[in-house]
Amino acid sequence: MKTRTWILLLAALLVLCLGLSVFLLRPREADLAEISSQGRVLKTVDLHLDQEFTVTTPEGGSNVITVRDGKIAVTQANCPDHYCMDRGFCGGGTQIVCLPNRLVIRFLNRQSVDAVVG
Amino acid sequence: MKRFFCLVLLACVLLCGCSGSSAPVRETVFCMDTVMDLQVWGRDAEEGLRKITEELNALERDWSATSGSSLLAQMNRGEAPALLPWQAELLERVEGLSRRTGGAFDPHLRALSEVWGFSEETHRVPTPGEIAAAMEQPQWDLGAALKGYAGQECAGILAGMDVDRAMLVLGGNVQTFGDKPDGSPWQIGIQNPEGGENLGILSVTGTVSVVTSGDYQRYFEIDGVRYHHILDPKTGYPADSGLRSVTVICRDGLTADCLSTALFVMGLEQAADFWRESDDFDAVFVTTGGAIHATEGAILSGCQYEVISR
Repeated sequence: MKTRTWILLLAALLVLCLGLSVFLLRPREADLAEISSQGRVLKTVDLHLDQEFTVTTPEGGSNVITVRDGKIAVTQANCPDHYCMDRGFCGGGTQIVCLPNRLVIRFLNRQSVDAVVG
Repeated sequence: MKRFFCLVLLACVLLCGCSGSSAPVRETVFCMDTVMDLQVWGRDAEEGLRKITEELNALERDWSATSGSSLLAQMNRGEAPALLPWQAELLERVEGLSRRTGGAFDPHLRALSEVWGFSEETHRVPTPGEIAAAMEQPQWDLGAALKGYAGQECAGILAGMDVDRAMLVLGGNVQTFGDKPDGSPWQIGIQNPEGGENLGILSVTGTVSVVTSGDYQRYFEIDGVRYHHILDPKTGYPADSGLRSVTVICRDGLTADCLSTALFVMGLEQAADFWRESDDFDAVFVTTGGAIHATEGAILSGCQYEVISR
């Protein structure tokens, strides 16, 4: 093969690699939160989509979850201690927990940590 | 042309390597009055998860201060339950850690925690008389030790199985087991006491315990005054040492848990001296002013901090 063909091929490969790396390393727009009830994952929500919904359990537990401006909070709950509501709107950090209703909101993809201590 | 295909093939192999980490078996367990997030990788992952869940429940049964049938409750009623050798050893080690910290960590604060309403979540400010009376009444409470011990026990169980690695988050305590496949360190975010983003990121390798004691974890407010759950054994009141949180990194889970409480009670200066006299842990301190201080062995990134050196 001619040298020129080689150069062209290598250039094409280089462009392909660059394109791929830009695609693979693009900043993650979607910060996500995973909501689980009684140990089972119910849904994963995109924190950039404002929304509000209620999670209920067969035992009568009820938590209203609100997503606003990239943050998530438990805005209403029928648990006795309301610790879950006291956390307010969070965009990361340790999980939000409602122990009486066995509800857990866990943050995904944030700063790519394996776990949060605290 | 052959060589070109070789190149393409090589590129494919290299790119596949980027996404080659297998998924863990993951479970959420409600135990010891908290939530535990357990992730285990490896051939025996399912079996490992089952065993450590059993272990966590067994430890809660034996050592919960709130359940009337636990060993601890029996001892607090003045009974003398028969202890197995490992149970006696645990209590001895806890007493040893209390002595080592000059009593800054005290496993006998059950009565005190009760008058403040932290054990039953019936928060109130007790009178000085009630506090004095509670301090006269030493009762076992392993709340500041048990989760750290549990993490270390779980890691020990996994070590005897075909398990590659594990990430166990026991109600805010982190216990790692093994290493990531690419050899990179575990990245552990430190919770910001003010909420929101992580304060910084700790890098640790291998099997290690990372435990935080913070005034934001359990507290109540009355008349604008904030009362948190880390009680100073010397005064009987919430420790007022100028710290908001202390994170301890240690190979031994029980030590990590007890020391995080003790260092919080001591305050930055005394805790730094304590660290200089020790060689088995590192620590990250967050002051009430928001400043971060880390001992020189702690690998912290993503924040501005002062290094505490020997």
